[in-house]
Amino acid sequence: MTTPILEIRNLHARIEEREILKGVNLTIPAGEVHAIMGRNGSGKSTLSYVLAGKEDYEVTEGEILLNGESILEMDPSERAAAGVFLAFQYPIEIPGVATMTFLKAAMNAQRKARGEAEMTTPEFMRVVKEAGAQLQVDTDMLKRPLNVGFSGGEKKRAEIMQMALLKPSLCVLDETDSGLDIDALQVVSKGVNALRADNRSMLVITHYQRLLNHIVPDVVHVFSDGRIVESGDKSLALQLEAKGYADFDGAAA
Amino acid sequence: MSFPVPVRLGAAENALIEQLKGVGADATAERITVAGLPTRRVEAYHYTDLKLLLKSVPPLAREAAEGDVPSLAIDDAFNITLVNGVAARQGDAPEGVNIGTVQGGVLTTRDDVLVQLNNSLVREALSLTIGASVDQVIQIAHRSEGEAGHVADAIKIFVADGASATVVETFSSSDAAHVGNHATLVTLGEGAQLTHVTVDLSARAASHFATNEYHVGAGGQLRTLVVHAGAGLARTHLFPHYQGAGAHGDITGLNLVSDGQHADITMDARHAVPQTSSQPLFKSIARGRGKSVVQGKLVVARDAQKTDAKFMHQGLMLSDEAEILSKPELEIYADDVVCGHGSTCGKLDEDSLFYLMSRGIPQAEAETMLVRGFLEELVDPIEDEAVAEVLHGVIDRWLLGK
Repeated sequence: MTTPILEIRNLHARIEEREILKGVNLTIPAGEVHAIMGRNGSGKSTLSYVLAGKEDYEVTEGEILLNGESILEMDPSERAAAGVFLAFQYPIEIPGVATMTFLKAAMNAQRKARGEAEMTTPEFMRVVKEAGAQLQVDTDMLKRPLNVGFSGGEKKRAEIMQMALLKPSLCVLDETDSGLDIDALQVVSKGVNALRADNRSMLVITHYQRLLNHIVPDVVHVFSDGRIVESGDKSLALQLEAKGYADFDGAAA
Repeated sequence: MSFPVPVRLGAAENALIEQLKGVGADATAERITVAGLPTRRVEAYHYTDLKLLLKSVPPLAREAAEGDVPSLAIDDAFNITLVNGVAARQGDAPEGVNIGTVQGGVLTTRDDVLVQLNNSLVREALSLTIGASVDQVIQIAHRSEGEAGHVADAIKIFVADGASATVVETFSSSDAAHVGNHATLVTLGEGAQLTHVTVDLSARAASHFATNEYHVGAGGQLRTLVVHAGAGLARTHLFPHYQGAGAHGDITGLNLVSDGQHADITMDARHAVPQTSSQPLFKSIARGRGKSVVQGKLVVARDAQKTDAKFMHQGLMLSDEAEILSKPELEIYADDVVCGHGSTCGKLDEDSLFYLMSRGIPQAEAETMLVRGFLEELVDPIEDEAVAEVLHGVIDRWLLGK
């Protein structure tokens, strides 16, 4: 059996004294797209931050393996170089740093970490233009400070563009549909689908079934109170939408 | 009845008194004898207690052989050097610029000891008359050369009606306990535009004092940037005066302080007539036990209706031991104005750092990017690209040095 891209075993994590993840088990084989659905506060976003290595969270038990290697001791930049990419629910605005400058720094830092040569400027411009064309990110937007003054749709398109440029093996999409209108949702979904590949896995976190009409998952997991309580195929998402979460986690909505 | 207690004079004050008497400036000598150097009880020096910080003053600097004067490598700039107060130009002045000298000091502000010292000690000031718009950047490189010396120099800049120019002053020194006391008086005619950048890159052993006085006429547009990135003790005192309707000043400054350094930017702005505006914006970055002081005072005269002025100071602490001190003051005598002040201070934003790192950028590089981003607001508005580029260089060198 081939090594799955992501394997999470009995993961417990807390922020300050509060335990939020209470024994998550999840395996995503190469090439598969898994969705995690759950109500607000169930710990979905925490899972995405813990995967990316945000300092605020302390892992107290369990293991996260990426391509069979533990990533728990790695800082966020090392995890990124190893192949983790988190598309943020709320991408951070960074004044004074041009988007283009940031993209070049990120791409070259990852290449350096993997022992590859830095990209030449013409090479960089070419790949950025290509990725930008697919996601309707134009040169004007790339000259602006990172995410500053971007509309909701622009921010999400820029996130997926980064994902396309950095070619991660694990894409974690945290509520990528939030703040998007129908048109923007289509552009973003198309961008994500174009990145589906045999050597890449995705974890799509969402409240709503809507996104999953566009990015069709192989497996759907229901998340409640810090763990996965049910898994199934894409029809599970439709059941959830029809019945609500209460049927799955026993708590009132 | 109480009698004033005589001030106990220290070594620095005694040296100054002797130097002043030596040049016949008895009145200034008398002032220092009576009052001493300003302490924290003098409001303008509240966080920069000169009596405490200035332990000694070296002998008045003698004329030095003009050595290799380092300056910022601004492409195609016209360069003037001022070595131990003596001016020399390099090459021909740009068309429309007249360079000469004027007798004595240049500052008109009276109520400040460093100003009085400068006016008393400067025999001859460099004068720049900018009669027409000049594209070429004018760089004036101040240099304190040789053994530790007390250097006082002064520059008078006049920008004629409708003319525009960019003037960059740099300050450097040999590695000795120099005390520099520099003065620049700038007058902007009607509709004149000036970008005035001053960068202190003196040795750590040196003390750097500068006073920049600006008189902005009707419709005049002034942009200034003070950068402190050198001397162990640095203070620049800014006196912008807005004297004609439509006069506007973007007064900006940056203190970059490392362990053991003390840098102070103090602004006393005066909006004297109706319909003038200013946007003072200062930033401080402190690491180690560095200390940064920014004081900004906006005085709006009774007649100066429709004044629009907002002071802002943003501090970034890169260590727990660093100190950033901020004192905004508003003194408003008119009743129809929009004036305000703001001050923020904090560490690098954790969420921003996480975002950059989550894209593979290592921590140290991500921090540098955030600091550069924080400062871009000061450098970006400077239109001359060559000047902006050397300023990025100054900032990057500071960030790389520890």
